[in-house]
This record gives sequence, structure tokens and C-alpha cells, in this order.
Amino acid sequence: MTALTVNGQAHRIRIAGTETLLDVLREQLGLTGAKRGCNQGVCGSCTVLINGMAARACLCLAGLMGDAAVTTVEGLGGDGKLSPVQQAFVDTGAIQCGFCMPGMVVAATALLAENPQPSDDQIREGLSGNLCRCSGYVKAIEAVRKAAGAAGATR
Amino acid sequence: MPEIELLRAKSVDDAVALLARHDGSRCIAGGQTMVAMLNAGLVDASALIAISGIDELATLTRTSDGATRIGAGVSHRVVASSDKFIGANNVVRQAAQVIAHPAIRNFGTIGGALAHADPASDYPTAVIAANAKIEVAGRSGRRSIAAQDFFLDYLTTALKPGEMITAVELPAAASGSAGHYLKFSRVDGDYAIVSVGVTITVAAGRCSAARVVLGGCGPTPVFDPDADRDLVGGTCEPAQIRAAAQRLAGRADPIDDVRGSAGYRRALIPKLVERAVRTAWLQASGASR
Repeated sequence: MTALTVNGQAHRIRIAGTETLLDVLREQLGLTGAKRGCNQGVCGSCTVLINGMAARACLCLAGLMGDAAVTTVEGLGGDGKLSPVQQAFVDTGAIQCGFCMPGMVVAATALLAENPQPSDDQIREGLSGNLCRCSGYVKAIEAVRKAAGAAGATR
Repeated sequence: MPEIELLRAKSVDDAVALLARHDGSRCIAGGQTMVAMLNAGLVDASALIAISGIDELATLTRTSDGATRIGAGVSHRVVASSDKFIGANNVVRQAAQVIAHPAIRNFGTIGGALAHADPASDYPTAVIAANAKIEVAGRSGRRSIAAQDFFLDYLTTALKPGEMITAVELPAAASGSAGHYLKFSRVDGDYAIVSVGVTITVAAGRCSAARVVLGGCGPTPVFDPDADRDLVGGTCEPAQIRAAAQRLAGRADPIDDVRGSAGYRRALIPKLVERAVRTAWLQASGASR
């Protein structure tokens, strides 16, 4: 049995040799927020935080997580409340089919933790690894700008 | 496919011993390439030796003479934001800044990227431009391989079975030197269609040393000592750059793929070489004053 800490909760689970973090999250822990899109690290829909840093859950082996703190989209808010980034995505209507959104929200959370007042270019770069097949990027960028409280600073 | 065993190495010696003990085993560090290949069913390994917990591999140091040693397990994120690169060696730091996306840069490592040896990736081109040496460990100890001799073919390196990369050593950058890495791609974070790594040293207003390397233009990075010599002795004027670019284009053997045709890549070479060389030249000229 291997220890794995997700959203502040310690689990003890059985992990097969090269099982990915994404598969363990979705199939063993029932956390289906992180999506399995390309399974190649390209689409970004599986993005989670590992010790606060954005990570591709599909490219991380669950057995190598050690005592790292994993945060999924389910763990961003608390007590039934949305996080500021989640709320901004809702308020902006930055959602089409929704498949890529958990990854976008987590990537935006990591971006704002590191750079609380990003320029539009920095937001675009921060989300560049998250593909939206509906091509709904404009609202997503607007949502991050809103979450940063930088709505007026159109640079 | 049979289950691949996951083993953890505590030290380089431990990792080398595990590689020797498990026939057909491979190292895994950040996993950003290895796990993608595992997911695609492309890894034929009996075991993966995790080297991410080895302290020695996680160190990035600069010696007093200006040389830089990058442990194989150092992430692109750390290289990209490090202040331990001076002069020409910045070509490597700049390459790290444009590898894939933030989430990949957080965990991908220089050792993993070099061992993978994708000619369209950024580090192989940059480390050759920086005249780096790649330190590897095996059962008979450690040895250093010049970066320009390290890449043998597409996804093929000079690593022997049972060997692993331990560090990348960048020689002390000359005073008056500068490095520049220019990546051309249509979409941010994609592989390069063509990339150029350049290092230039300026002494007494003239180019005293140069190195130009192309990525994405063949099975391995493309370089030519004669092209480098074309740039030496002058002020990197257009005719010199054209001559160097023409030589490199002659050595290039690009492929047609989804990102661009071979002809398109060839057409890009002169323009991108000019841009990259001029940028490095101006920086080096500024630094030499």
C-alpha cells in the first residue's frame, strides 16, 4: 500500500507499477474533475497541482508522488464554496462543453499564485498548454483577468 | 503488455547498480516524456529506475570561473529562471524558457530531454551551441561526452546500455560572449519547426568565436565548423551570416511533417539564422564594451 495525499486527505492505496496519477485519481479515488483527454501531456485537461505547481496528472506516476500534496479541481474551493478562479469562470460564462475547464481552472490557479497580476500575454502563455476544442479561449482569458482583479487593466 | 516494475534509486551508484541488475530497464526522472511514451505503449522496459529522489542530480551550481554544472534532474523551470548562466551559456537558459508549457517545465528535466534526443526539442540544439559536455555514469565509472558527439540519430544517443546522464557541464563563458536561442513555431509551447542556438564572442570589436546550431532540421542538431568560421573575424555582417546560413542549409535534412514541409523549413533557415546571429552579436558587442 502506498500513501497519497489528495486535497488534504491522506489515502492508502494499491498502485500498480506505472499507473499514472490521473488514473489513480479518477478510478480509485473517484475524483473525475481531472479529465483524460490526450493522455500525452498535450491537452492540459488533466492538470492538477503538485505542491502548488501545475502538473500533468497523466504524465506523473502515482507511485512517485511520495509525500507531495496533490490538489485537484475538487480541492480548490472549500466548504461548498467556489475558489475565486472558479467563481470568475462561472461569472464570465467561460464554459462551453466544459471538458477542458477543470484543467484551465487549475492552470489559472497556479498562474495567479505565482503572478497575481498577469498581463494578457502572460495569461495566454499560462493557459497555452490547455486546449479547448470548442475554441472558447476569449472568455477564459477574461475570467483569469477578472480573477486577478485586473479587469480594468487591458494591456 | 506485462507490468513494468518501478524501482527507486537513492544515489547515482544505486541507480547504476539497478540498471545493471535489471536487464532492459530505463531511468525515469520527471516523466514528462517517459510517461507519455508509456501511455502510448511505446516503452519496452522490464523496469523503470526512478532517479528523481537523488540529491546530487538536483543541483545547479556555478563555479567561480563562470562554468555552470546542471544536474541531470534539474527541471526546465529551475534552469529557465536561474541566475547561474552568464554570457554565452544563456543560450541554454533561453532554451529552457520555451520548452513546452509551464506544467511540463515544472517537472521535465534536462537529463530526460537530452536522453530522449528529439531533434525538434530545444535542449539538444542549445547544449551544442554552448559547447557543453554531458557527464554520464555507468558501471565503469563516469565519463564526459562532448554535446556535439552525443546525438547519433533520431532519438538515439551515445549513452551505452546501463549508462545514465548525471550532469551537463557548460564551460566558463568567455568575457564578451553572448548566447541566444530562437525558436520558431506556430503555436506557443509546440515543438520547433526550426530553431537556432547561437553563441558569439566579441573581442576588440570583432567576432572571435561563434557557434551556430539548427534544431528541427534533421535527425540530429545541425552544425558545421566551417559555418562557425564564416562568422569569425568580422562584425557579423550580412554577407558573413548568409555564407554561414547557406552552409548550414546545405547540411540540413529536414522532414515533411504536420508542422511544415521540408521546403518550408529550408526557406526559414537563412532568415532565422540571421535574426539569431544578429541578436547574439549585438548582445556580445554590448557585453564586450
